[in-house]
Amino acid sequence: MTPSPTEYRARRPMAAVVRFFWHLPRNILIIVLKLYRRVVSPTYGQVCRFFPSCSAYALEAVTVHGAVKGGWFAARRIVRCHPWNSGGLDPVPSPATVDWDDPSMVPMIVQLNHPHVFLAKQQETQSRNAA
Amino acid sequence: MGFFDTILFPFKWLVSWIMVQFHDGLTFLGMDAASGVTWTLSIIGLVLVIRAALIPVFVKQIKAQRGMQALQPDMKKLQAKYKGKTDQLSRQAMGQEQMALYKEHGTNPFSACLPMLIQMPFFFSLFQVLSGVAKANADSDGIGAMTHDQVAQFDQATIFGAPLSAAFLPQLQGGDLNVAVVWLSIIMILAMIASQFITQKQIMSKNMSEEAMQGPFMKQQKMMLYVLPLVFGIGGVNFPIGVLIYWTTTNIWTMGQQFFVIRRMPTPGSPAYKEYQKRREAKGLPLLGASKKKVEEVVEEIPEPKGQRSQPQRKNRKKK
Repeated sequence: MTPSPTEYRARRPMAAVVRFFWHLPRNILIIVLKLYRRVVSPTYGQVCRFFPSCSAYALEAVTVHGAVKGGWFAARRIVRCHPWNSGGLDPVPSPATVDWDDPSMVPMIVQLNHPHVFLAKQQETQSRNAA
Repeated sequence: MGFFDTILFPFKWLVSWIMVQFHDGLTFLGMDAASGVTWTLSIIGLVLVIRAALIPVFVKQIKAQRGMQALQPDMKKLQAKYKGKTDQLSRQAMGQEQMALYKEHGTNPFSACLPMLIQMPFFFSLFQVLSGVAKANADSDGIGAMTHDQVAQFDQATIFGAPLSAAFLPQLQGGDLNVAVVWLSIIMILAMIASQFITQKQIMSKNMSEEAMQGPFMKQQKMMLYVLPLVFGIGGVNFPIGVLIYWTTTNIWTMGQQFFVIRRMPTPGSPAYKEYQKRREAKGLPLLGASKKKVEEVVEEIPEPKGQRSQPQRKNRKKK
């Protein structure tokens, strides 16, 4: 049953509050990771032997999977990143459902970590606009 | 003991043990056990041990960069494919394909963050050891491998009149500022900034391949020039003199190592590498790398059809 407009309005702030606290750990981690990528990463350039780099991996994992699962993925990746691992491509495991149809709805980090997919989409829209 | 302390405990023990070994050795050689100079040299000895232990990791990285020559032709193709595409997504796509290429050839120029991360617990534990000295002395405790007597000795030790365990800002807040601490802190901050600046400049002007100079890596290197002095400045006024001695020494080691690398193992394709090959030629030594000639042939082949002649230009640039 869909709630009536009044019910809906009454319930919505509550839902927003719950959602805020539910996503708080994830959002704190996202802010920390973004700050790290902005401030600390540039100080030593590219050192990671993986694509995406560890911090990009962590940011996507936390954005997509949340603080607990994403944090676990990120921790495992950092353990994998050492001079005796030959590196290469190592994408974040996809969640059960992926909705990449509308690029404007996909977080930037996800786009940056899957450039080929989104470059193709870009070209698609460009050619459609040109036609 | 918190999570952090538990992790740091073995490092703390190792750091203090190495320092004590140096201290004992220097005392055996006739130096004054209570002198700040002896303890300063012990800290410098600790840096030498840690940095020397990291040399194999460093050499492995340099060798991996050599291995990169084999994939030069593929790399050139990749660069041609993304030529002129400067948007973020294309850059990322190029990075991804590059990484796949490294994997395919079984080589990777990046050493992973380990060499850097591995220094962090040592630095933190040294920081804890040095900043915990005053408290441990008051509690009549030892720290790690240091006995209480050694802790007391260290707490009293001064270099040029500045206590090793004193720091600029905390002293300023405490109201008992020691002029020697201020001077030593400032001198060491300047020394760190200078050595960092020289190292960066050397890398940027001599030891980067032409591709790397145009890439995002260059931008990061430039940013480093501005961020690190800030880090040194903020750290420098907050950390005890002993930590600053460690930090300055490790910076100077990095600078020396960089000089050595530029002279003896330059990055292929960099200006330093060309000079190195010239020097070898002058001495009548064979050019480095058996695959080198083959690579050069291929590299020359690619620009010709496009009419790109970059070589004359490069020579002009060098003369300036």
